[in-house]
Amino acid sequence: MPVWKVVMILNLALAVGLGLGYAAWGRRADALDREIDAARAQVERLERERQACAAGARGGLQQWEGRGVVRAVYPQLLVITHEEIRGLLPPRTTGFRAAAPTLRDPVRVGDAIRFSLRGTVADDATLVAIAPW
Amino acid sequence: MRALLLAALWVHLASCVLLTGAFSMLLLAGPPRTSVARRWDGMVVAWSRLLVVGALGSGIVWLLVRTAVFENRPHAALEAGAAWHAVLDTWPGFVWLARHGLLIVLGAFLAIRADVTEKRNWIAARGEALVLAALALALVSGSSHAAAISPGVVSAVASDITHLLGTGLWIGALVPLALLLRAASRADGADSRPYAVRAARRFSRAALITMLLLMGSGVMNAIVQVESIAGLAGTTHGRLLLAKLAVLVPILVLAALNRARILPALSHSSDTVRRPVMRRLAAFVWLEAGLALVVLALAAAMTLTTPARHGDPVWPLPFRFSLDALPDVPATRWRALLGSQLALVGLVALVASFLVRRRRSPVRTAALALVAIGAGVGLPPLVVDAYPTTYRRPLVTYHAGSIAAGMTTYQERCAICHGITGAGNGTTSRPGTDLRAPPASRRRAGELFWLLTHGIPGRGMPDFGSHLGEAQRWDVINFIRVLGAADDSRRIGPEVEPDRAWLVAPDFTISVGPLAPGALRDYRGQRMVLLVLYTLPGSRARMTELARSYNVLSIIGVEVIAVPTQASPEAIRELGSSPPVLFPVVTDGNADIVATYRMFAPGAHAELLIDRQGYIRAIWREDLAGMPRAAAVQSQVEKLNEEKSPPPFPDDHVH
Repeated sequence: MPVWKVVMILNLALAVGLGLGYAAWGRRADALDREIDAARAQVERLERERQACAAGARGGLQQWEGRGVVRAVYPQLLVITHEEIRGLLPPRTTGFRAAAPTLRDPVRVGDAIRFSLRGTVADDATLVAIAPW
Repeated sequence: MRALLLAALWVHLASCVLLTGAFSMLLLAGPPRTSVARRWDGMVVAWSRLLVVGALGSGIVWLLVRTAVFENRPHAALEAGAAWHAVLDTWPGFVWLARHGLLIVLGAFLAIRADVTEKRNWIAARGEALVLAALALALVSGSSHAAAISPGVVSAVASDITHLLGTGLWIGALVPLALLLRAASRADGADSRPYAVRAARRFSRAALITMLLLMGSGVMNAIVQVESIAGLAGTTHGRLLLAKLAVLVPILVLAALNRARILPALSHSSDTVRRPVMRRLAAFVWLEAGLALVVLALAAAMTLTTPARHGDPVWPLPFRFSLDALPDVPATRWRALLGSQLALVGLVALVASFLVRRRRSPVRTAALALVAIGAGVGLPPLVVDAYPTTYRRPLVTYHAGSIAAGMTTYQERCAICHGITGAGNGTTSRPGTDLRAPPASRRRAGELFWLLTHGIPGRGMPDFGSHLGEAQRWDVINFIRVLGAADDSRRIGPEVEPDRAWLVAPDFTISVGPLAPGALRDYRGQRMVLLVLYTLPGSRARMTELARSYNVLSIIGVEVIAVPTQASPEAIRELGSSPPVLFPVVTDGNADIVATYRMFAPGAHAELLIDRQGYIRAIWREDLAGMPRAAAVQSQVEKLNEEKSPPPFPDDHVH
């Protein structure tokens, strides 16, 4: 076989090998990343649901734990500057609805507290427990 | 271990460069027609096979030694698992794998002893070998210092690849060219002499272009990886680069000599003249190649040292050049201007002398004389004292904690001579220097560090090197910088001056109760900050107004950070619950922030508007404008929002 044909075949093999290798490896890596993220989210969600069930909540609800400083107290609402609430919110100041009006009674502006939220998604997360930090 | 790593890297780099150069030289020379030229072609290919073996062997040694260095265990070099981990689980390992894969393909390709007498087969064979060798060489930059540059990795790697390929095409081609010239200059090489002359001419033309590319990419690499003259002269990496340039000078002189004098002589029709000239050219090219191997050794050593931009330069000279001294003495300004213009005219004439053939020597001599005179006239006014630590990077950042600590040390140790405000009006009989004004304020932080550490014996300044720790000395320097900045900050009032950002806001820690603390610099590039230093009950009305207008300020991109002048864990509660105060109120570390920022804005209540880049742009001092109204802050924020070209982020350290 003439050398120029050998060169053509070699380059073709290199290009195809590189392309296929990149495509297969890249796609596989992406798929694995997605699988890991989904599995991690699932584990965290199940853990929160287990916590909620252990605390007597109905099925399907999740429970999140947070820490923060109370900034404002309204009849139905507590505004809290909080650390990251894993699986729910980044660190910021958020207003949370209290599950029961008595829950906010012992709380004053400036208090550092630990709190539990319960709900199905971020929008319906409700404060169910408060304790001093 | 390091010597072995360097040796392996050098052999590997030299092998890859020579491989690229060998095939580029073969292609430049063209298909061989005579017996001597064919022998030369075969010899270059045979040597290339050995070079591939050398590159693979040295590459494996390099990988094993690097594994041992990374794992910090000499035995790791002999453990298959450790090497496997280094190859498969690290980016340099992946690059290594790709490059050595290419070298194996090249080796296998060269091992095929195919018939290449037909022209297209010969071009395909040598062209393919060049592509594979060049790819293996270019991929070196994938795991080089250039690949770690961020941001700008693409241009840094592109420049590095250009430099590597240029090296391969120029330096790597020297050895096969010398072999060809040597073979053609022998008695039996008469029929191949025209072929050798043509090859030498083509190489000369290609080398000129390659050299220009090398210079351009070299300058780019130096800008990215060395960054400054201090890095060039004061770090191992920079000094290796200087050594590389020093070795490059004789190579360039030889190359210029070959191109200008010897190459034209090869056209002589008589063999009695042509053969000795060819031998001399071969000898010079061998010499160039020998020096080029030294350049490659220095380049290999550079890759094993920390890039100068990350190093801490140790300035080697007792002086440096600086424009800072010029504003003080008008006469020196004129002298510097005159000198610079003379040197500029000289440089233009020098460039012209390379382009115009007529009267080249006298023009060049006059140009060099003008440059020398210009330097002699213009440079002396720029000379200022320098010390080994002149370009040292401060150990601590420009942070309120450091400044407050420096203030305490300053008041204990320095105020007696330099005065509480740094004005040089201390209580001793021998007044100290005014630290807020030139020349002290123009000194680099590293110079202040040297003077603080070693003192100035002739002027009564004691040395504090043995009394204060290194961090303490940097704290004092941070405080001295605030002294100067505070003096200048009186020019900043409640009105933002558009596009004039110059006063850097010292960083500080934002602690709100037991929450994880943040920092002022977290807001850089994100939001503006209205820093409010307040004292109750005097500031109560203003804090209430701020609480009410917080939503509006937040929407236009401002975060309010309130710092009570008296630290209290009850600070949030003391502000009351109606209206609710939702912005961060610092409850810990207040003393440092208040001590630092009161130097810019004294009083019980002050507000400072800090832009998104981290510069103080407006100050409301109690003694001047009083407390601002909400609308006043908003109008200044709008001015900042309208700025077209924000300044660069300030450095975290003082200079």
